[in-house]
Amino acid sequence: MSNIAGKSYAMNVITPVSRWWVWWNLLIFWLVKTPFMAKRLNGLRTLSLIHYARWVVLRPHQFPHLSDDQPKERLKYSYMLFFSNFNGSWTQYVDSFHMAIPGGLNLIWNKNIRYPKSVPLQPFHRYIVFNQIWTDHYYNAYPLASSNDIKSAMALRSALLEFSGSIEKLSDAEFYKAYKRFLFENQAYLGKMASSPVVSLADEAENETRRLNELYGRLDSQSGG
Amino acid sequence: MFGNSPQPTPLTLLSPIKNGCSGDQSYVSLTRAYLQSLNKLPLSPMAAVPNTFLCRFYILNDVFFEGSPAREDHLQSKYLVFCSNFHGDLETYLRGFWQHANEHIRSAWRYCVGFDAVNDVTDFIAYIKKCMVKTTFYFNGSTGAPLKEQLKALYLKQELSAFVSRHQGDSPEKLRAEFMRFLACAQPDNLDGPSWAPGLSKLGEQQTTNSEVDA
Amino acid sequence: MNTDYIDLDDIQGNIVKAYGRFGYPVARYLFFQFHELDEGRQFVESLLPLLTTSRPWFSETGLPPATTNIAFSYQGLKHLGLPTKCLHSFPEEFSMGMKARAKILGDDLKSAPEHWDPVWQNDKRIHMFMSINAQTQEALEQRYDTILTLLSRHGDAVELLRGHRGSEGDEMPYQEARAIYKHGVPTSKEHFGYSDGISDPFFKGSGGNPANLLGGGKPTRGNPATEEGWEPLETGEFILGYRDEAQELPMAPVPHLLSMNGTFMVFRKLHENVGSFNRYIQEVGKDFPGGSEALAAKMAGRWRNGAPMALFPTEAEANAFASELETARVKAKAAATELERQRAQEYYLTLRKKLTGFNYDSDIGGQKCPMGSHIRRANPRGCLEYGVKDAFATPGALDNRRRILRRGLPYGTVTDPTSDEGEHGIIFMAINASIERQFEFVQQQWINYGNDFKLANEKDPLLGNHHGNEDFIIQGSGPDNPPFFCRNIPRFVTTRGGEYFFVPSLTAIRMIACGLVDPT
Repeated sequence: MSNIAGKSYAMNVITPVSRWWVWWNLLIFWLVKTPFMAKRLNGLRTLSLIHYARWVVLRPHQFPHLSDDQPKERLKYSYMLFFSNFNGSWTQYVDSFHMAIPGGLNLIWNKNIRYPKSVPLQPFHRYIVFNQIWTDHYYNAYPLASSNDIKSAMALRSALLEFSGSIEKLSDAEFYKAYKRFLFENQAYLGKMASSPVVSLADEAENETRRLNELYGRLDSQSGG
Repeated sequence: MFGNSPQPTPLTLLSPIKNGCSGDQSYVSLTRAYLQSLNKLPLSPMAAVPNTFLCRFYILNDVFFEGSPAREDHLQSKYLVFCSNFHGDLETYLRGFWQHANEHIRSAWRYCVGFDAVNDVTDFIAYIKKCMVKTTFYFNGSTGAPLKEQLKALYLKQELSAFVSRHQGDSPEKLRAEFMRFLACAQPDNLDGPSWAPGLSKLGEQQTTNSEVDA
Repeated sequence: MNTDYIDLDDIQGNIVKAYGRFGYPVARYLFFQFHELDEGRQFVESLLPLLTTSRPWFSETGLPPATTNIAFSYQGLKHLGLPTKCLHSFPEEFSMGMKARAKILGDDLKSAPEHWDPVWQNDKRIHMFMSINAQTQEALEQRYDTILTLLSRHGDAVELLRGHRGSEGDEMPYQEARAIYKHGVPTSKEHFGYSDGISDPFFKGSGGNPANLLGGGKPTRGNPATEEGWEPLETGEFILGYRDEAQELPMAPVPHLLSMNGTFMVFRKLHENVGSFNRYIQEVGKDFPGGSEALAAKMAGRWRNGAPMALFPTEAEANAFASELETARVKAKAAATELERQRAQEYYLTLRKKLTGFNYDSDIGGQKCPMGSHIRRANPRGCLEYGVKDAFATPGALDNRRRILRRGLPYGTVTDPTSDEGEHGIIFMAINASIERQFEFVQQQWINYGNDFKLANEKDPLLGNHHGNEDFIIQGSGPDNPPFFCRNIPRFVTTRGGEYFFVPSLTAIRMIACGLVDPT
């Protein structure tokens, strides 16, 4: 069971919202999609560490009911499900939002039951962890790539296709000049990828236990047991 | 940057799991055990499903009691939650899912309500549509381009960077010749040519076709 | 805002003062193990009168010839009998210790713990850290002797650990450190030739020189060349018990009196592969426009004389600035009349602002100061907003909580600048309220990785744990000056030891020594 697949982390959160305030939430989400609020998403885009995220607001009757054998849901609250695929550790993600776009977070979660606001940090941390469900299986088609890596790769490929289509008739000297220009214009995209930094020490716990057992075993034998 | 590019398709499913047991284990426990066992495999079965960018499975056991004065709420069923980000229209995706990860589908949804009536792809698509919930707001922080394009782009980024590094300082003649060779090997416009395989997690692992770029 | 509520008498001096800059160019770092609880406590208690606090020094009262400060590892607190509930309230990374965090810190291959100095091999023995900083070697030896005398009262019960590698062998009882001297005068240089310690975070109530706000505080949306561009950081980023940048008191061990006015410290012995560095900048510098000095500057983000690339793009400008600055400094010191001195001092301070009064707003693409250069990674100065106006609540939203106070000095001497062998490097110490959020984050995400800078997996050219097959890309400035790849960059710095410590307040030390800590 892991929330991590390569450079990506799968966060799942479910929070209750009252059956009256759920309409406010739906309104906010509708507004955010309009051009009028588009600028509000600047912060989110600039953070650049999200692949994809979504919110699903479910009123009680909207939980799928597939058979008469299945008991109907009798919920008092509506629920907001949040799914995010982001890069970096859990704390980096939560801290980034809390510092960079606290207002945006509040706009979305304000009417959720017992939401403590995104500032200060510790109550907000506790709220997220408390309402988080761990992923049972997470698949990432490109574990070696962060969202930034993919965006830069797409831009680079586009530029490469254009460049390679334009060089056929050039002399070597002209090609060289065009090549240098191509590199300069795309220099932000040229970093090489590799594995993600280690975020989880779950495996390390095993190694550390073995190391300590060995170390203390040696010390015991030195001091005569 | 991606204002005009295709948007990924969001798919969110909540499939109710049957209450009850098979032998000693509850249906939900068996479902969870299967899902978690996938983490031991070298590659997820979802890697075979075309155009899947990122997807996840989790079991929604129950809702959380936030503490007084909030009221206590409980679900009557547990749900298998599946959330996927992919390219293309839903039906094509589901057909690809059924075709390329059939055993996985049958194992994951085996104990879900109504799934025993699913015998073919038509049943499957109908079933999925019944389990779908509407995505209220979707944030695309990346791209919705077809997976093959994304993987090709990633492959090219890696190879081009290595090429530029290797040939820094070459004479214009040599550089041009090498660059043409690079283009011939890497085939930037050929999505079926050398690329990263879906789910590639270690550099140096076999790619979809042998790359001669580094030779 | 009045910060008189910050009790500088209770806070240990090494937290707010970078002793090196106050004229303490020599230091010794000692590590102790407690074999018996009572003896250990008594030894700690006997040190109290020697401990240096953060109370500001004034030239009238004079500076003490030597300073002493102490800190405890998790094992140390345990062996001094701290109750389990207290111990468990310390952060996870602190209780694990630095060695167990090697994977997070990127301490692999030659930096792996198995290559560390002998004293660090059994990390469970490192209980207490002590630093002695002094104005002269004589004062240092005197303070050291005083410590040894106090230690001798406890026989075998308290042990000064041996096993530091130095020029005199592998079994030294302390780690020596001293500024690099030139013409008999201590400089701020380290062994690669860079001027170090130019910028230090400026926080509320530190009692520090207000001139250091510029460039040391957190960025505002004002002009960075003036005071309007900066605000002091919240105290709680560096000292427990005070408000931090998340608008609350930082998480801290219990009980309150144990952690109040205390903080956490990271100690790392970093060997500098001087031969590799000199060779690399010479060889690669032949192909790099501007030559080796420019290459060295691009890697650091500052010219080796300290001038920031963001303001001084060419070697000529950087040298002119450095020379002007030095002339002004000397003039201010040597001024004959008070009026002259004032004027000269003002002029000097105006120039000095250029060392730190800048950001990267006019260099989003990294053409002047590369995106991945060392100082840009270690202190982004708001550049993670990528010039998108008002994207974040404040330009420093992603940086303000990642600052660390850097303390420490170089150690050893370079006898052969063409070799990596020999014992020389930097003793790196970082002070922060949270090791995981501040030091470890910067080390893992910003030094050994590049995603936040959109550089994929590229690492800090100077400090990164390079494996020998990676590149460092220097952004070009135009179509005729394309990006330059520094290829197969060697690992210039390797870790040779270290640990995480808790730096208690004077009150807390007293309570620990007297066995008075009770979380009930």
